[in-house]
Amino acid sequence: MYIIIVGLGKLGVNLTKQLVNEGHDVAVVDLRENRITETVDAYDVMGVCGNGATLSVLEEAGLSKAKLLIAATGSDELNILSCMIASRKGVENTIARVRNPEYSDQLPFLREELGIGLIVNPEFETANEISRIIRFPSAANLDVFAGGKIEIARVRIHADNPLCDVAVCDIHKKCKAKVLICAVQRDDQIFIPSGDFVLRCDDAISITGSRSQISGFMRQTKVYKQKIKDVIIVGGGRIGYYLAHLLEDTGRNIKIIEQSEERCLHLSDMLSDVMVIHGDGTDQDLLDEQRMQDQDALVALTGIDEENIIVSMYADSRGVPKVITKVNRHSYSILNDIGLETVVSPQIVAGNLVTRYVRALDNSAGNSRIQTLYKLVGGRVEAVEFTVPEDAGYLNIPFRELRLLPNLLIGCIIRGGRIIFPRGEDVMQANDSVIVVTAGRILEDLHDIFV
Amino acid sequence: MNYRMIVYTVGRILLVEAALMSLPVIGALIYGDPTLLSFVITIVLLALVGIPATAKKPADARIYAKDGYVIVALSWILMSLFGAMPFVFSGFIPHFVDAYFETVSGFTTTGSTILRNIEGLPKSLLFWRSFTHWIGGMGILVFVIAILPKTESSSMHVMRAEVPGPTVGKLVTKLRASARILYGIYCVMSLTQILLLFVGGMPLYDSIVTTFATAGTGGYSVLNASIEGYHSLYSEMVIGVFMLLFGMNFNLYYLILIRQGKQALKSKEMHCYLAIVAVSVVVTGVSLLNKYTVGDAFRYAFFQVSSIITTTGFSTADFNTWPTVARFVLVMLMFIGACAGSTGGGVKVSRVMILFKSAMREIRKAINPRSVETVKLDRRKVDDTVVHSVVVFFAMYMLVTAASMLIVAIDGRDSVTTATSVIACIGNVGPGLGMVGPAGNYADFSVLSKLVLCFDMLAGRLELIPMLILFTPSTWSRK
Repeated sequence: MYIIIVGLGKLGVNLTKQLVNEGHDVAVVDLRENRITETVDAYDVMGVCGNGATLSVLEEAGLSKAKLLIAATGSDELNILSCMIASRKGVENTIARVRNPEYSDQLPFLREELGIGLIVNPEFETANEISRIIRFPSAANLDVFAGGKIEIARVRIHADNPLCDVAVCDIHKKCKAKVLICAVQRDDQIFIPSGDFVLRCDDAISITGSRSQISGFMRQTKVYKQKIKDVIIVGGGRIGYYLAHLLEDTGRNIKIIEQSEERCLHLSDMLSDVMVIHGDGTDQDLLDEQRMQDQDALVALTGIDEENIIVSMYADSRGVPKVITKVNRHSYSILNDIGLETVVSPQIVAGNLVTRYVRALDNSAGNSRIQTLYKLVGGRVEAVEFTVPEDAGYLNIPFRELRLLPNLLIGCIIRGGRIIFPRGEDVMQANDSVIVVTAGRILEDLHDIFV
Repeated sequence: MNYRMIVYTVGRILLVEAALMSLPVIGALIYGDPTLLSFVITIVLLALVGIPATAKKPADARIYAKDGYVIVALSWILMSLFGAMPFVFSGFIPHFVDAYFETVSGFTTTGSTILRNIEGLPKSLLFWRSFTHWIGGMGILVFVIAILPKTESSSMHVMRAEVPGPTVGKLVTKLRASARILYGIYCVMSLTQILLLFVGGMPLYDSIVTTFATAGTGGYSVLNASIEGYHSLYSEMVIGVFMLLFGMNFNLYYLILIRQGKQALKSKEMHCYLAIVAVSVVVTGVSLLNKYTVGDAFRYAFFQVSSIITTTGFSTADFNTWPTVARFVLVMLMFIGACAGSTGGGVKVSRVMILFKSAMREIRKAINPRSVETVKLDRRKVDDTVVHSVVVFFAMYMLVTAASMLIVAIDGRDSVTTATSVIACIGNVGPGLGMVGPAGNYADFSVLSKLVLCFDMLAGRLELIPMLILFTPSTWSRK
């Protein structure tokens, strides 16, 4: 598919990388010549230097051939204008990054009247992901499928965990909960485990199951963490605001530390039930004064990765039970090594959304639509939810007779609200939701999983 | 540096060369030449080196700018090394340095020859000699990108090192598709020329090899007297026009293909290029009036100007005997060269334009120190980093030229021969003035001079940086 990406910030470059790796024709547009040069050198794309909201520049980038335009500059208005131009010129699909909370109230209008296909607000989506983790702190990361019926949680197996040195097929002897291990990260390697795979200490495993079963699993394997009541948020930017807004009605005590007095006043104006502290959240004295060590969770959301990492390490060393770190530049394994388990990145979150949209477009010919898509373990594993079409050739055939690709696993099947962990004799039926976990493979349609 | 990836990529290039060498093998079979065995031995040697080098794809396939330059420079050096072997094995050019000179001159589309009697060589060998022009014209690595399946994502570095010009853009989003379009245009134009020459009465074999030399803007002819030997005004005009066409930026042809011809016509570089040609033809033609008739004067002037500005190097007259002003115009054209993104050599018209414009800017700035202006080309701002790199390129070009002249001067030839031999080689032109004029050749130079001229030809074709990088110690340090 021919895709134009306007704006080569961190999000734009991240999307360029993902879409090129999936084999699309990509043209990038940016005002800054050096950004264009760097991107064209690194990825197989065409670069056009100029303002991406002008018709001449977009035409030079191949507007007439484009199937999709993604506007990801730092300016909401430019993104909207760029998408409007594209959609008037006959580009069928447009995606705009719109971050200003004031615009987010008129999303339906933007979509229907201005013809913008998808509006991505990475900050809001990130806040949403953080709020899910805060509601269920035992998991390092948590993603939901099938409207919340199924979740994928990532946990690390510590030395005191009974699952150390246990084969996957023997897990049910150690714990009764019905969950499935769908991916294992060991150092820098990724495994999609089969039954004889032996878990080791310090592996990070991704498990699927319903919320109650996952909770049970966590309790029995001693990784369960107490409910979070008191949250301290360092940095009152957009994510901080969205997060506080999402959490304020849940009865939790929320404290935001923000450096700019003006922003503090604005936050306190927009939020109720939230304590806003004016001060430098990276100052250890201030954190101690705000009794950080007695909080249940700390969320580091300043604009600077290094500060977030330092604050998180300090909180971790003071024994704060749950520490969540936001980083813009994603270098997953290093942060895990220094003890920061829960790392969120707006780029990855937005990338997931866009990838899902693009795959679904690509697959408009097929009929097993992608419902949900997450990239797990630093983007190296994908979990994709499909709906089984009614006329598929693989209906009602037991799995033991179907030949699936290697490095791929059926996480579970949801049939009429019931969760099935498929065994050899199970079958897929029409309108089932199927969750497929795979490493290093691009799935666009459910029939892609067969040999 | 990623040594394994460099070895792997260079190995692939050598295998491609082996495949390309099967064409002269077919030729040798057709004409019953005694060169068959020497081609086969070379192909076997290429395979012996290429197959082990490409046996295993390196796990780490990342290449950065430095690796890209080294790959390009090494590929060209090794390609010429193997390409020279058939000449030596068959015994028609007994000395290896001579054969190497001849092959480098072929691949770099220079067209300088050490052969005194070209017509004495068998047809298959002459075919290979001209075919190197065709391969070298558009670039072997671009060819590899176009034909081999999925190349590494970073090969833009490679393309940038091989395609001439101050800036390199892609025609379409995918590098491979861009390379295919370039080669597609190249092939279609070549076929058209072959057809036109053949229709005009030139023998098919001569049409093909002459086209190879025109398309690559090389200049090897299969006749001792070059194009003059055909005594055909029609052929001269076809070749003259096609030389000019191959000297233009290929992006313009792509614009015409996608029906953006109007935009192509607006190219300032093309206007400047054609203006230089027109002025040079008039000046040269007028200066030749007391030597030839009016018709002949302009016929020779047009062909020679077209041949020299595109750095092809065909000749229809011995311009060594022309008046000084005409000879001087030709030497200037050797420096300027063809357009960026063409198959020609030299400094390139767009670089000369940027140099001229930035010089004018400096002068205006001296008059009014507070004035601020940008250098523009095609109504677009030329980034200051590009202006800077153009100025540095020109300085390096002059330095390399001067240093080479100094070494070649050791041979003790007259100064015109010494100077123009270097200028003609680094500009990939071919014939110079004096002993290396259209009637002469490079056979009498010493081994040292020939090697220096080989370096100049490669440096000129690859636009200096890749060759100079090879001789910079920090390139080879692992840290």
